[in-house]
Amino acid sequence: MTVPPTTDSPALAERWTCPFCPLLCDDLQARPPVSGAPKTGADQPQRWLLSGGRCARADAALQHFPAVSAAAGPTVDGAPVALDTALDAAAAVLAASHAPLFGGLGTDVAGGRALYRLACATGAVCDAAAGPAMMAALRALQDRGGFTATLAELRSRADLVLCIGGDPSANAPRLFERPDGQPPHLRVQLGGAAPADAAVQHVPGRGDLFDTLAELAALLAGRAVPQPDPALQALVARLQAAAYTVVVVEPALWGVDAGLVVEATNRLVSLLNQRQRAAALWLGGGEGAATVNQVFSWLSGLPLRSRAGPRGLEHDPLAFDAQRLLRDGGADSLLWIGSFGPEPAPPPNDLPMVVLGHPAMALPARRARTVFIPVTTPGIGSAGHLVRTDGTVLLPLFAARADGLPGVAAVVDQLLARLQAPAWRVVAAAAEVAHG
Amino acid sequence: MAEFVLQGGRVVDPTHGTDAVADVWVRDGRIVPAGQPGAGGQLIDASGCVVMAGGIDLHSHIGGGKVNLARMLLPEDHRSGAGEPLPLPANPLELPSCGTCTPGTLATGYRYVEMGYTAAFEPAMVAANARHAHLEMGDVPILDHGAYVMMGNEELFLRMLAERWDFQHIRDYVGHTLNATKALGLKVVNPGGISAFKFNQRSLSVDERHVHWQVTPRQVVHTLARALKELGVPHPLHIHGSNLGVAGNIEATLATIDALDGLPAHLTHIQFHAYSKDGPKKFSSAAEQLADAVNARPELSIDVGQIMFGQTVTASGDTMRQHAQHQLGSPRKYIGADIECMAGCGVVPFRYREQSYVNALQWAIGLEIFLRVKNPWQVVLTTDHPNGGPFTSYPHLIKLLMDRSFRNQQLERLNPEVAALTPLRDLTRELTLSEIAILTRAGPARLLGLTDRGHLGAGAAADIAVYRQQDDAEAMFKTPRHVFKDGTEVARDGRITAVPAGGVHFVEPDYDRGIERVLRQRFRAEGAVNLDHQPIGRDELCGCCNQGRLLPTACHEVSA
Repeated sequence: MTVPPTTDSPALAERWTCPFCPLLCDDLQARPPVSGAPKTGADQPQRWLLSGGRCARADAALQHFPAVSAAAGPTVDGAPVALDTALDAAAAVLAASHAPLFGGLGTDVAGGRALYRLACATGAVCDAAAGPAMMAALRALQDRGGFTATLAELRSRADLVLCIGGDPSANAPRLFERPDGQPPHLRVQLGGAAPADAAVQHVPGRGDLFDTLAELAALLAGRAVPQPDPALQALVARLQAAAYTVVVVEPALWGVDAGLVVEATNRLVSLLNQRQRAAALWLGGGEGAATVNQVFSWLSGLPLRSRAGPRGLEHDPLAFDAQRLLRDGGADSLLWIGSFGPEPAPPPNDLPMVVLGHPAMALPARRARTVFIPVTTPGIGSAGHLVRTDGTVLLPLFAARADGLPGVAAVVDQLLARLQAPAWRVVAAAAEVAHG
Repeated sequence: MAEFVLQGGRVVDPTHGTDAVADVWVRDGRIVPAGQPGAGGQLIDASGCVVMAGGIDLHSHIGGGKVNLARMLLPEDHRSGAGEPLPLPANPLELPSCGTCTPGTLATGYRYVEMGYTAAFEPAMVAANARHAHLEMGDVPILDHGAYVMMGNEELFLRMLAERWDFQHIRDYVGHTLNATKALGLKVVNPGGISAFKFNQRSLSVDERHVHWQVTPRQVVHTLARALKELGVPHPLHIHGSNLGVAGNIEATLATIDALDGLPAHLTHIQFHAYSKDGPKKFSSAAEQLADAVNARPELSIDVGQIMFGQTVTASGDTMRQHAQHQLGSPRKYIGADIECMAGCGVVPFRYREQSYVNALQWAIGLEIFLRVKNPWQVVLTTDHPNGGPFTSYPHLIKLLMDRSFRNQQLERLNPEVAALTPLRDLTRELTLSEIAILTRAGPARLLGLTDRGHLGAGAAADIAVYRQQDDAEAMFKTPRHVFKDGTEVARDGRITAVPAGGVHFVEPDYDRGIERVLRQRFRAEGAVNLDHQPIGRDELCGCCNQGRLLPTACHEVSA
């Protein structure tokens, strides 16, 4: 396979946005490995080279993209097949399904647009791999709203950063990097394990995180608190003296309690904004989750965990939880989308399943029909668009190298075309696959 | 494309001073001079109908970050009153999409087109989120679209003013931003106030200083208006002024006009900026003062931002004012955001009530402004969708403007103090069909520099609405018999008949690219998005817009 140039000019080739964490850093460059190059030699490395900054997470993620995408091609029940055959088999799975579930949703805006059309045509429920944390934050938003800041406000205007319950930079290594010339901000962590970074002040609190947050809110509101925690009192003084506070939370760290943490944080920010300035920053929604949620919201008016079903356009953030549907038998097929890496792979299930995934995504041998179609990764093999962690900034992705794989949007469009073709074609194709 | 002739309709085309029965000839998506129809040409009987250019909404929040936040905030807008799912569309050409004050983009396109509109413009695009706005607008089917990028609250712009940078550099920065974001125009929202709120300043009037940058809104407004004039951008500065919604804000509005110093400008949703603090409740109409100021200055235009009673949501870049008023919201929930050292947003659901003194007065003030501004080319019909009410209320609004007895009937239902006090009852003016055509298509097209839209002259795009003439203006404008987009019939009798992708209007003014070196450094210093990623190329724009047509609008020649 020849690799065509991906861009017209050297200057454009330098453009890259990292798609691997919710920060979408756009100040790094990634140079791909060159196939057939000697294993040593700095000019033609076997590994991806990251420049412009350091990031362990990006480094690790890039190594899932070898020089030439290996012979990974589509499979049906583990056997290699031509793309058309795989598409026929995938369409047959969806055509036979009465309650399809689209999960993972690891794709970009174009993939989200295509998935919406397919979801409407099939009546599928859609939920992202990161659905639980994202929906906890969304439900809090639907209930009361919230006040947020974006990364540039954090990086250059915040003088106090309050991390709730843990260090969110573990999953977003460059979160707290400051631009050159910006004075450091004061970082305080409330609750959680003692932070590794000595520069971070730790206020552990005396009870669990929820007690601590409630006490902090009471102190901030000036309510009487019997025997207040002196460390919290000191934090209140800091908060009241700050010019601009950003409260950072990673809802995914909190599992089923994510909603409570988000609500408590919203209350804190709201209290602070009565007399001074503060905002929240949620970390999450990466690998397409926030992006597809935004796309579905703008197209239909409703976010994920919705479907165009027999009752109409239906949104149910609790009942349409993918994990719950799989556990309770509420779905009879699964279309799993994961284009950003081998993980997240589909959760164990025994439904007929179609996977549009990273070529190295590992699927266990299963009894039910299993169609795998490898797809390209936005930001590696193709251009694209993703929503950043702050939900308010949408950034362009650029192809770093060609891989010859189709994008999610193209595959989904072909699936939809098959489903909308006369019924006999799908049935015939299904029979052919079954006997072939 | 097949040609067709609309025969025997009453053609209302104020751009050409036409209000007469005539035929309209269409070929290849364009209006052509009357001649012989070619083979296959279709005759469409338009007798008994009024034929106008397609409607153009020059200020409607149809796409971008805060519109989507509003959708996410209000799942109840996407369910029936009883909380049940809304039905799927019966028309196989429509994809499922719902909502009234925050409709999905698909529903936005269908509902606009069904009432004869063929273009709508998003007035509040954040530069760092321009792709999002274009992607959303690209998913509004059929309608042409475009956006005004917001400036005047970036820390960088305020720094430029504070440090007294050469005007040329500021002008080039504006030129860069318009080009990079593929905007059609430039809007300033609460000049300097959105940034000031980030520094905990809670109000900022025209001659007050920003607490950090020591810059005044007067400077911001004048500088941006001048930059646009020097760049030759057809649409002048689109101004959402200081002190939105505050009693007595007419003073700030007149001071903003004064700050322009004769430069052209468009004052948007002016109803929200035309309040006096006279009267027993310290809140009253300043519509007459406002109209006098507009009548005296032909270089000004306005859109009204009429409020309509019922549930809606206010989505604005004006964080300072939205935060100040969020306690008045209904239901009680509120989204705010400080955005990327350049902008903000506030989303507050709101229910306008007929029995509320303030809401009833706002309603009357809006109508007063429509009726008091003499030259219809200076006024555009808007509700500032969804802030004053959803765009689907336009036919009702048109009836209020065309039918005095209907207007006065509605007035009787309002808060009795307002009904007794307002001078609206005595305003006898009833807008004519020609004037409505100016307010809803000819005027906005001219104000935006769209030379081939908003009229029915030869060479114009065949964006056409054919309404059944009837006494009830609301019924007439609600459901046109035919709607054509670029010569294709896209709706008939309120039913979508084709779903082409809409086109995107934008400007590309010349500027000195030397400014980009400075901008690159400053963006980096703020930790903002990478300047080299900012420009949206034409190919990318086309992809964002689902392969819709690219419609660059020519800038004026500017003498050096």
